Amino acid sequence: MNKVNRFAAAAASAVVLACTAGAVMAADIYVIGGKPDDPFWSRVKKGAEDAGIVAAAQGGSVTWLGPQNYDNLGPDAAELIRQAIDQGADAIVGPDWVPEAMDPAFQAVTEAGIPLVIYNAGGLEAADRLGAMNYVGAVDYKSGYAGGAYLAKAGHMNGACVNTLPGAANIEAFCAGFNAGLTENGGTGSVLQLPATAFGDATAVAQAVRAHLLQNPDIDAMFAIGDGDTNATVSGIQQAGKAGQVHVCGMNFNDSILANIQAGTQDFAIDQQGYQQGFFAVSILNNFVNYGVTIPTREILTGPGVIDAANVEQVMAGVKAGAR
Amino acid sequence: MSMQSAAEAKGFSLGSLIRRPETGSFLGFVVVYTFFAILGGAVFMGAPGWSSWLNIAAEVGIIALPVGLLMISGEFDMSVGAVVPAASVTAALLSGHFELPALIGICGGLAVGLLVGFVNGLLVTRSAIPSLIVTIGVMFAVMGLTLGFAVLIKGSTSLSYVPDPLTKSLLGTFVGGMFNVSIFWWLGFVVAFVFFLHFSPIGNWVFAMGGDAESARNAGVPTAKLKIALFMASGFCAAFVGVAQLMTYQSAQVAGGQSFIFNSIMCVVIGGVLLTGGAGSIFGIVLGTMTFAVVNQGIFFAALDPNIGSIIIGALLLIAVLSNDSFRTLAMTLSSKKK
Repeated sequence: MNKVNRFAAAAASAVVLACTAGAVMAADIYVIGGKPDDPFWSRVKKGAEDAGIVAAAQGGSVTWLGPQNYDNLGPDAAELIRQAIDQGADAIVGPDWVPEAMDPAFQAVTEAGIPLVIYNAGGLEAADRLGAMNYVGAVDYKSGYAGGAYLAKAGHMNGACVNTLPGAANIEAFCAGFNAGLTENGGTGSVLQLPATAFGDATAVAQAVRAHLLQNPDIDAMFAIGDGDTNATVSGIQQAGKAGQVHVCGMNFNDSILANIQAGTQDFAIDQQGYQQGFFAVSILNNFVNYGVTIPTREILTGPGVIDAANVEQVMAGVKAGAR
Repeated sequence: MSMQSAAEAKGFSLGSLIRRPETGSFLGFVVVYTFFAILGGAVFMGAPGWSSWLNIAAEVGIIALPVGLLMISGEFDMSVGAVVPAASVTAALLSGHFELPALIGICGGLAVGLLVGFVNGLLVTRSAIPSLIVTIGVMFAVMGLTLGFAVLIKGSTSLSYVPDPLTKSLLGTFVGGMFNVSIFWWLGFVVAFVFFLHFSPIGNWVFAMGGDAESARNAGVPTAKLKIALFMASGFCAAFVGVAQLMTYQSAQVAGGQSFIFNSIMCVVIGGVLLTGGAGSIFGIVLGTMTFAVVNQGIFFAALDPNIGSIIIGALLLIAVLSNDSFRTLAMTLSSKKK
């Protein structure tokens, strides 16, 4: 008798548990992003995972899908989007890095009726074209523009954008924006294109910057597309004997970049605030899947924010507190 | 072995000079340098140009030396691409994060290289798996461990460390503001490797092992021990570059270093080392490295599209392999009349 009772009680509680789990729509959210060992993307990933704590509390989950390397970025990322669909995603977050290669995959997402948020790259234009709910991110062109305009207004008129990932839409937009920011404020801009094999190799980037500066002695401003590249660019300028003459602006930041801004070897950094991109993209989708609530504001801008000598100490405090 | 002793034979007749395995590499270097000197002009031929390509050559060159030695002995090492960031992250964790003395960070970084090399050597000698596959496997494992430990300990994939002036001047400074101190380390490594391969008795064992491992073992060469030692040398050199990069750029990234895998192999092959083992020289590897670096940097001085640089390097590689084959046939047919 006792045994039967216990069994019945267990069965009843199991049924209750199953019912409560069914009552809440658990959101399994798949996030397509960069390599998990990329410094910038590890911050985006942290934002997505922190928002995922709420999703998990509601019975859902957040899964990060990133490519092994950037050698074949567009097709690899498109493959990851299709993987997310196949794994039964309730909602998908993805960057539109290479529209030609990735748009068909994103269209498959919306055609399957899966809520989609574009983040990091592509802008509201991509979100509208693909039928996505929203765009969360910095607008790459505006980030580059802010860098060019800042430098030109400070009197550094001849700039070069160090492009270590030729062909990626967001990087091309950084450089186009940077050059527009310079020219519209009275300067001139050009692009230093590196072979794709140089990406992530500090020495290769530094030596290329140095060679370019020696061949083009008029350049007095440079724009780097990531924090590693920025450190390498600063070193290249020093090796060319042009420290203090060539002014540097870089996308994103880390400890050593903040130290460089404080020391004056780098003028300023443009922050896309990657943590916000992951956090808000996941939150918007989680709330929509669970409760059907939306954010009517379209194009959630997370940048550009400028970090220069004036506010670097505030930012450093933010880093120590774990907020940036 | 016989091939090598023929090439090493003394006497400087024009014929024996042409038959030397490095002749092709040397001609390649002269042609490439002249090409870029014409396009790049005075800046490329002056000190800024030389330092520019020597800085590139030094880093890849330090790794190419042991990679070449392994190739002469008939093995590949792909794991160097993971050891470079692993060593620099280890040193940055020890000295930067835990604030231990620079020497401990440096030793820790180098120890990682030696350990990875030891594991490579052990797996290659104890199993029948080709070294290409073993070292690719180890490369991925080391990449994962580096990422895992960096995130676990520091919570970030990018670490920074500001070295003290002495460490900086020994490993990460630019002499005269442009010549990276690693160029001098490279020279030191070259001297050590020339002595090891061409003057010490163990050098012949390396050639013998690449020519015919079974016969070498029967002749009393401790092939297993020697192979493990060679893998450890390659891990050590890759780790050295990783540590030097940390001291130079004051930051360590978990990713990066991948380019060293193919770049080091290309330097070695352009330098005339036989892919199947048994033939090659340190002088050739150095020439191959210099050629590679001149193309890499010359592109920027010549204001050509950087992608053209990749095409030239690819073409050079093929030409090198083809010409090595013909130089070797020449050496083998003509030198036989000595006997």
